[in-house]
Amino acid sequence: MNAHHISEDDLLLYSLQSLSAGQTAAAELHLETCPECSRNLSEISGDLVLLSLSVEPQPIPSGARERFLKRVASESQTAAPVGEFTAAAPRRQPILSDPPEPSRVIRQIQPRRSWFPVLIPWAAAFALLVLTGFLGNRNQKLSELLDIDKGQIAQLSAQAGRAQQVLDALTAPAAKSVTLTEGKQTPPPSGHTSYLAEKAALVFVGNNLKPIAGDKTYELWIIPEDGRAPLPAGLFRPDDHGAASVVLPPLPAGVPAKAFAVTVERAEGASSPTMPIVLSGAAGL
Amino acid sequence: MAASTAAGDAALLARLQAGDQQAMASLFDRYSGIVYSVAFRVLQDSAQAEDVMQDIFIQIWKKPGAFVSGRGTLGAWLAVVARNRAIDALRRRRPTDSVEDVVLAASTNLAVESERNVLMEKVRIYMHQLPPEQLKTVEMAYFEGLSHSEISEKTGDALGTVKTRIRLALIALRKAMHRQEIPDPAIQGEAK
Repeated sequence: MNAHHISEDDLLLYSLQSLSAGQTAAAELHLETCPECSRNLSEISGDLVLLSLSVEPQPIPSGARERFLKRVASESQTAAPVGEFTAAAPRRQPILSDPPEPSRVIRQIQPRRSWFPVLIPWAAAFALLVLTGFLGNRNQKLSELLDIDKGQIAQLSAQAGRAQQVLDALTAPAAKSVTLTEGKQTPPPSGHTSYLAEKAALVFVGNNLKPIAGDKTYELWIIPEDGRAPLPAGLFRPDDHGAASVVLPPLPAGVPAKAFAVTVERAEGASSPTMPIVLSGAAGL
Repeated sequence: MAASTAAGDAALLARLQAGDQQAMASLFDRYSGIVYSVAFRVLQDSAQAEDVMQDIFIQIWKKPGAFVSGRGTLGAWLAVVARNRAIDALRRRRPTDSVEDVVLAASTNLAVESERNVLMEKVRIYMHQLPPEQLKTVEMAYFEGLSHSEISEKTGDALGTVKTRIRLALIALRKAMHRQEIPDPAIQGEAK
């Protein structure tokens, strides 16, 4: 990216979402005020459509449409139609105006037969309204719970994404691990350990480590504060650039460290360190 | 046809604004295939691809105004958004862009299934006419979401070579589409 316009390569990387976070932010800032770069970006994005279209068509999974439409219905939270309950106005019952029945027996029975059918639809309508209200209320509460859950998931995803980013920066093969030194001297082998005893969490990053024979390995040790025997904390071999890492090895929780050490051991590792110690560092205060 | 289908998309989006679920169903029927296919190509997992597809369409349902016609055609826009969201899912990260952010210069219309299928067939043919190393590199960048340097590391090719291959592949595709010299798939098959 130059000071004036974003290069085509960077615009392509931007549209592929492959720029780093910092570069992405810088590109977005520039794109907000540069119509020329925005136009070039839209051209590149247009080309990317062709790549999307190169896929083999796949049938969508069985039931996917129904699942989606159900989700749409629940997301929309539309009220249930009430027309069924209100459209049919109750008919006036002509009971009082009915002509008297000739039979006494019939007259006695008639009121019961005429009121009962009238009450049933009203009772049913009332029950349905109560049920609708109850379900609506419950739906609302469930939606609220769902929203809370979604928020928590998003928050956890963000935290996990951040943690993964940190881990990648420390340990990914593509990560550039550089030891800065004064002048042009060759940096000596070094290691950096971050250790949280209460959570048994340890990350070790080594730099400029000397190559090691095929039947050997480096082994990291925790020297416990209480004088117990050194605790093995992971095996590692440096890559071609002398870089290596140990991330979250299995460790018992709650072992405060006095110091850390690295030794050279057999390829399968050892249960106690073999001298000499090639790297060491006190945990300090 | 393109104008009418574009108008059809616009009408469906307008109905979505009014909360018309039937319009949402129509839009889903029209574009779920391409969205799902792209997501599946990236993720190689039907459940994850369906999740991506549903999330995209739900976002449209919630914010039908997110797409405006100046951003290209709806189908093309969805095809790119599907790729971006699938890559996000692949990397297990939060969506890096809002769907509103994607702007396309392409006028590719994908609303009619038959036309879309023909176009996709053409693009596949063009893609496979690329030199194998260009095809591989551009697919690693687009469908695997690898950066140029990651591709360089994985293939052992120089970083500059990777960049050049991707650029040349895109230029070749763009030119092929503009030329519209469409090779006949049947003839291609006979020649082999």
